[in-house]
Order: sequence, then structure tokens, then C-alpha cells
Amino acid sequence: MRLPGMPALLLLCIPLAAPAGTLEAVRERGFLRCGIVESSPGFSVINDQGERAGFDIDHCKTLAAAIFGEFKIEYVPVTPHTAFTLLQSGGVDVFPDGATWSFTRDISVGLDYAGVYLFAGQTFLVRKDSGIRRVADMDGATICIAQGTTLEQNMADYFGARGMHYQALTFADIDKGLQAYHADRCDAFTNEGASTAGRIANWPDRDDHMIMEEVISKEPFGPMVRQDDPRWRDLVLWSFNAVIAAEELGVNQANVEEQRRTSQVAEVQRMLGVNGAFGEKLGLSKDWAYNIIRLVGNYEDQWRRSFTPLGLKRGLNATWQNGGLHSALPFR
Amino acid sequence: MNMSRRLLIYQLLLVAAVAALACLLFSVTQENLARLGVDSNFDFLFRRAGFEIGQSLIPFSADDSILRAFVVALLNTLVLAMAAIVCASMLGLALGLARLSGNWLLSRMALTYVEIFRNVPALLQIFFWYFVVLRTLPRSAHSTVLWDALVLNNRGLFLPGPADNAGAFVMAAAMLLAIGIAWAVGHWASLRRYQTGRSFPVLSVTLSILGGVPLLAAWGTGMQWEFPQAGRFGYGGGIVLLPEFLALVCGLSMYNATYISEIVRSSFSALPRGQLEAAESLGLSRQVAVRLVLLPQAMRIMIPPLTTVYLNLFKSTSLAAAIAYPEVTSVFVGTVNNLVGQPVTIMALTLVIYAFVSLCIALCLNWYQRRLALRGT
Repeated sequence: MRLPGMPALLLLCIPLAAPAGTLEAVRERGFLRCGIVESSPGFSVINDQGERAGFDIDHCKTLAAAIFGEFKIEYVPVTPHTAFTLLQSGGVDVFPDGATWSFTRDISVGLDYAGVYLFAGQTFLVRKDSGIRRVADMDGATICIAQGTTLEQNMADYFGARGMHYQALTFADIDKGLQAYHADRCDAFTNEGASTAGRIANWPDRDDHMIMEEVISKEPFGPMVRQDDPRWRDLVLWSFNAVIAAEELGVNQANVEEQRRTSQVAEVQRMLGVNGAFGEKLGLSKDWAYNIIRLVGNYEDQWRRSFTPLGLKRGLNATWQNGGLHSALPFR
Repeated sequence: MNMSRRLLIYQLLLVAAVAALACLLFSVTQENLARLGVDSNFDFLFRRAGFEIGQSLIPFSADDSILRAFVVALLNTLVLAMAAIVCASMLGLALGLARLSGNWLLSRMALTYVEIFRNVPALLQIFFWYFVVLRTLPRSAHSTVLWDALVLNNRGLFLPGPADNAGAFVMAAAMLLAIGIAWAVGHWASLRRYQTGRSFPVLSVTLSILGGVPLLAAWGTGMQWEFPQAGRFGYGGGIVLLPEFLALVCGLSMYNATYISEIVRSSFSALPRGQLEAAESLGLSRQVAVRLVLLPQAMRIMIPPLTTVYLNLFKSTSLAAAIAYPEVTSVFVGTVNNLVGQPVTIMALTLVIYAFVSLCIALCLNWYQRRLALRGT
């Protein structure tokens, strides 16, 4: 049985989350508390070796590598119901799961975003024999959807603006919603495309279904942090930026050792801590970014580990040189 | 200082301490929320909802306010709770009587049922019924259709209904009127029985009134009927009972009926054996003896424990969130909390609503209990 009331109670009981810096608190504790959603193929799974893996997990690891130079992490499983509350009350230091960066979330929830790590979009999963080819074909359809995201609102906005009707079937849990779609309870299932692709990859009748190309919303996903600690937000933002910058600069997990020794590019030298004191200014060690790339890899390394096996293309998530939206802030 | 005064002071101190603790909790929470930049007022209730709800008894669209969404969700909760309570009571009564029956097979079957369904968590039963219902019912294209009016498929049970709001209003009014008439007839019948001893077929008359008056009203006002019609995406129109609703009524009533049957059984067992024997010696058949002699007395014993079961059932309607039935927990703690991001305010509001409705149910049953109680002479 779900206990949605617990996090609210937590908020009552923890009188004041230490207003001192999150980084100091993490250091003192000796590990990072990272909020994750369990069982979301591609983003957060337990792999064959019994270890946590996925795009979100890599993000936790990126931060731990930057702070400790090793994976000192406590993964705190959250649900969409509990995530924001746990973060607000100090139960987790960061929540890197797919939470769309939207105005309301940013301004009125007491939380802040530290960059965009995935440009996702809301798509529809339909049966190939349903005759649905475009979103416009879905006037009057029953659509299964999961709570805990901006998806419900997107869909109402999109259909409302076009004068189209639909019947929403709102599940508390993504997998139950997919199961209901699979049992033909609804004509379509809508969710962020990458996560749907991951979840249906092992359906025996996968070929009878398709994820429509059409995307009805932008869902920029970013790691969320508390609003009252700008230094911590800087750290989270620049740790992730190092992952993108490394790809732009041609530094990856395989060659980072060599690059640190031999690269003559000034920006690579500054990023990897050969020159300058960028790490120290963030309150970290000199080789913070080197540790990130050495232990977790650049964006392409992470993508290839988590999303390539699911057949996902980089698309909008390519670097700007390759026609995507990711563009690193300069290390200067 | 005498004893009673000292005790009074202790009690006052305790009350003051509890009140102070509550104040402290409240102010610390307020302070924390303000520091975190989380709103803690109820302004959000009047914002545009911006999401759709799958089932609503009153018209609702994404353009309506969150407050209206709240009312829609509350009505859905109440309808579900009422349907489940009625079904669970009937099933529970039948099971309880079956267990008391002298027929060995019947009583063992009832016992088996109770032991199985009482020992499986309600949430699992709901999932079981939901996915069993979904997988066994035909797809929309192969719907079971009866007389072109009843349609059953995996999207729900479709019945003819009033075509517009005016019609729906007429039907609701007629239903209330029918309930009033049925109540009056029942009252008159029992009075007549006290005075003359003659019986009256109350059950069949009540049923025909409940069915007949609304139909008569529909015919009299020339109401337009809407029949289920096949559209691009399956059937639409008329009244729809969603599979989620059916699965929930099934799961909740089959689970709670086990408890009710035990209450029924123990209440009947608590009656002195002489009651049945006396009734039989008057020449009453077993059936009539149960209905007129045993049941009214057993009711007095039944009501208090039954109140507990009904309250539990009402609260467990929140399990509906798991299978997408839009009730209060799903819509508020799920969707609205996610949109608005004020967990403390929204949880508080939801808790208050559950407590309020629970208290109302308890009050009603307590009133009924007092009415049934033997008056002292």
C-alpha cells in the first residue's frame, strides 16, 4: 500500500534542514544522497550484475565522482509523489530523474534546476492496426497516462487548443498504465518517448505497436536541487557541463588519461585540472572533472551505455556541432 | 489540595502541552515552507485545473477550477463507496446466512470463500479483478450487445441514458421521489401489519416503485434517450460504467463481504435459540422467521461492528488510485499535488475530507443504531 502521507509528515518533523552548505553536509556525511525512481529502463535499472545502472544513475555517479573521486552514493528510491518533498526537506541532495523544467516547478516549489541533461518530448504509443497515424487522428480516443509529470497538462493543452476530445485514464504508476494499454483498455499510451521505448523493448508483441514520431511537448529534464544553496547548484550544473564539454572537446572515458598528459588545448587543460584552479573554486579537488570522465565518461559514453541498446538516437540530444541542443558552457 | 482538583490541574496541563505542541508543529511547518518558498495557502483551488478527469458526475473540463475537480473526485469517491457498501452488505448477508445454514455443502462453501478472500490484501484483489476483467472482456470491435441497448466490452458497460442535462436532472429528481414513495409505502405497510397483522409484499412493490417512477417520469416529460453508439474509438453515449469502477466494486465488496459475513454470523449466533424455536412453534416458515424475528434483533448487535467495516471500506476506496479510477486520493494527492507542489496543504485538505466523510458515516449509523435500540420501559 502506498503511503503518500509520509513525506508530508517528514516535512513536519525535520524542523530545519541545515542551511549550511549542502557540499559540506555531503562531505561530512561521507556520501551523496541521490533520489532515483526505481525500475525505469534506460534511466534507472538493476543490471545483470545486480548493480544499479542507467542514465539517471550515471548522473548520481557524475556528482559523486566530482566530490569524492569515487562512487560514494546512497540511492534513495523516490516516487513522483515523494520526490519534491524529500528534496525540499533535505532527504536527498539532488534528484536527477526526469522532472521537466517548467515555470511552476522552478518558481513556486522551492526547488531549482541545474541545467538540462536530456531534451525529451511527450509521444504516443499506439497499436499499428488502430489506424492512428498522427495525433490529429486521436479525437475521441481513450488515452492512458501516468501521474507525477507535466504530461497530463500537456495533453489537455494540446487537445484543448485543437478542439479535440479524449478520455484520460490516469494511473499512479507508469507500468500499470502500460499494462492497461497492453490489455487494450486504451487506444494510446502517452509518456516521455525514451522511457516508453525502454519499457516496451521486451514485449513479445513489440512489433504490433509503434511510438509515433510526433512530439506534442518539450520536456527538458534537469537535475533538481534545493533553492537555498546556489553554491551547490553551481556544482551540480558544472559537473554536468563537464560531461558535455568533454564530448565537444573530444575527451572520453577511453582517452582521458592520455588527454590529461598530452593535450595542448588550453580548455582541456583547464577542465582536467592541468592548469588553473577551477576545481578549488567549486570547493572540489583539482581533478574533479578528470574523475568524472575517468569514472563515468562523457555524454556520448553515457548515452551509449544506457540508451543505444534501446535503439534511441541522439536527435535533439546531440551536441550543437551535430545539430543537437547540447552546448557546453566554456571553461574559462 | 484535594484529589479531584489535583487531577483536574494535571489534565489541564496535559491539554495545554498538547495544544502547545500542535502550535509549535504548525508554526515550524509554516516557517519551513516560507523559507523554502512553498506557498501554504488555498489560492490554488481557484486556478484553472488544466487536466481532464476520466469520469465525472457533473460536467467537467480542463478549463474548470481545481475546486471543481475536487468536487468531481469527491463525488467519484462517494459513488464508489456507496456501490461497494451496498454490494458488500448484500453479499455479506448472504454469506453469513449461508454459513449458518444447516446445509453442510452450502456452509462449507461460504467458509471457504471467507477464508480465501479475507486473507488476501484488498489491493491485490483489485489488481486481480482489474486485469482479469480487462483481459476477459471482448475488444470494442467484438462487443457483446444486448437488444441494441446494453453493450459490454473492455472499455466498460454501456447503458442507455438521458441525452442531456435536463433529462439527467429529471431522472435524478424522479429517483429521489421514488425513494420517498418507497419509504412511505414501507412505513404504511409496517403500521398496517402492527394493527391488522396482514402482510404486504414490500420488496416487490419497492422494486417496482424504484424502477417504475423514473421510467414514468422519463415517458411523461418526453425525455430523449441516448443509446450507446459505435464511434471511431469504440462505443460512446449513454451511461458508462468504467472497467475500473466495476473492478473496484468487485474487489472492495468481495473483500469486505467476508468481514460482514462474520459479523452477520456472530450476531445471529448471539440470539437466544428460543427465538427461532418460538417462531417455528408459531408456524412461521424458516424464511419468514429469519426475516421477521431474527434479522431485526440481530441488526441491533450488527450495527456497531458494521460501522467499522463501512468506515474501513470507505477509506480503502483510496486504493482506487492504483487502477486509474479518479477519486480524491488519485486526483488530489496525485495529479493536483504534482501540478501545484504544495504537499502539506493538499495532504491536509485530503485528510480533512476523509475524516469528515468518515464521521458522517459513523454519525448516520449511530443514529440508526439508536433508532433500533430497545426503548426502556
